[in-house]
Amino acid sequence: METGTGTGTTRAQHRFFILCVAPSLAVLALITLLPSLYLLATSFTPLSLTRPETLWDFSTPLENYSHLLQDSRLHNSVWVQIKLSFWTVLLQLLIGLALALLLNIRSRLLEALRTVFLIPMVLPPIVVAIIWKVIYTPDISPLHGLLGLLGWNVPALITDPDWALTAIIIADTWEWFPFTMLMVLAALQMMPQELLDAAKVDGASPWQLTWHITLPFIKGVLLVAGLFRLIDSIKAFPLIFILTEGGPGNVTEVTNYYSFLQAFNFSYLGFSSAITVALLAATVALSWLIVRLVGWGNKID
Amino acid sequence: MVLALLALSPFLWLLLMSFKTNAEIFRFPPRLFFEATMANYGALWTSEFRNSFANSLIVSVVSTLLSLAIGVPAAYALSRWTSRGSGTITLWILASRMAPPIAFTIPYFLVYRHLELLDTLTGLIIIYLTFNLSLVIWMMRPFYDQLPRSLEEAAWIDGATLWQGFTRIILPLSGPGLAATAILCFLFAWNDFFFALILTRTEAMTAPVAVVNFMNYEGWEWGRIAAGGTMIMLPVLIFSFVVRRYLVHGLTGGALKG
Repeated sequence: METGTGTGTTRAQHRFFILCVAPSLAVLALITLLPSLYLLATSFTPLSLTRPETLWDFSTPLENYSHLLQDSRLHNSVWVQIKLSFWTVLLQLLIGLALALLLNIRSRLLEALRTVFLIPMVLPPIVVAIIWKVIYTPDISPLHGLLGLLGWNVPALITDPDWALTAIIIADTWEWFPFTMLMVLAALQMMPQELLDAAKVDGASPWQLTWHITLPFIKGVLLVAGLFRLIDSIKAFPLIFILTEGGPGNVTEVTNYYSFLQAFNFSYLGFSSAITVALLAATVALSWLIVRLVGWGNKID
Repeated sequence: MVLALLALSPFLWLLLMSFKTNAEIFRFPPRLFFEATMANYGALWTSEFRNSFANSLIVSVVSTLLSLAIGVPAAYALSRWTSRGSGTITLWILASRMAPPIAFTIPYFLVYRHLELLDTLTGLIIIYLTFNLSLVIWMMRPFYDQLPRSLEEAAWIDGATLWQGFTRIILPLSGPGLAATAILCFLFAWNDFFFALILTRTEAMTAPVAVVNFMNYEGWEWGRIAAGGTMIMLPVLIFSFVVRRYLVHGLTGGALKG
């Protein structure tokens, strides 16, 4: 190609590219940036829907934030969130990794199996929630029926304070293990065969192969998959909404759910905004970490 | 194989339940062969659920088309044009996909009350753009990265305008990517529960919210709940099999070429 077509062309190109990008940026600014700023603004007001005069009341801007530090129910929700995130991310990584290693053999049957394993992840979250509601409701649950036949009478998991969070963790793990599995599989398929062959020639056992060659190779992918799941786990909503509504008591009340209650059940939108700003900051920070790890934006062709 | 069956059994159970009568649902151990009934589906179809289903369809399709129309040129330009700002733009786009829905719901709820957009399809379509527009830019950019620049440059030399180079050369070549992206956008809009829960009441209610309402207001009609759930997941299952190869890609935003 002729690189010397002059600055005229490149300037025209420049203009053209700006024209292409501009609508998207304008729309994104309007629908994401502006609302985020508005959210920040309401977080400085004592806004409550029952008292309309509080809408633009900035007389005590930091009240919500100081309340954040004192609200023990919020602190409890953060702790629940940490437990939920930790266990779901850990289990999903382990199960996803194990299945990916098992399924990483090229064969027709496994190809089909892989597709089948996708189902939980692509189901609408609300359907996943309904499925687990059925399983956790003793009257109609196949699980409880089966355990009953074996002579075990298990209490309903989602109404038992000791088990409710575990029940949510199980359901969430079921929904999302395919995600980590898929990511690991994709990485495994990019693994250079020579690497494995060389190790085999040196007499490495299958365990050693996995531990010393495969795992280091997919470390990065595991990290990114884990981060994605971590961010998503902060958003957990339908499962909790349908299965436990944060209860019993508030043993399954995660921060996101608590913020939802504050805003749309108690109509303290101001306080809820402050909680949400904190959540948003956490997700932006984690997203930034992903961008850095993957190295997008630095790539120049 | 056993593993797969075990992993999928919760899903299959719901599917079976949707064809059972209420008496059959409460029977344990379940009979392997029961008389399948379509009554649950029939009852659904004559109820309000039909409207909600239509709402879901309209909102998902329109928001998909809009995001493609706005986002595809941007994806192309961002792929061809590197500037210092692109890192920031990437973070911004990723963050708007990752943001907890409640972060947008609160401001939208407040503004929609004034604009009278609460409980309207338009309102939902706009808020679905928050994640779908970013998804389009993200999915399509790597597709364009793979198409060599020389393609459109050849067209320019032959006298095509920049815009023609894009619409006549590049766009047709990205057909598969466009299809996959469109389907993913549709699925994300279709699967949404939170936004619809807060921003709609009756008129614009979508199917997922409608099913939850059966649970809360009409007693535990398990058969109908299962039938509703099955109908919601049907389009999702069909479409996901079509685009299964692009799924990882779309969910991670090209963090990985899968």
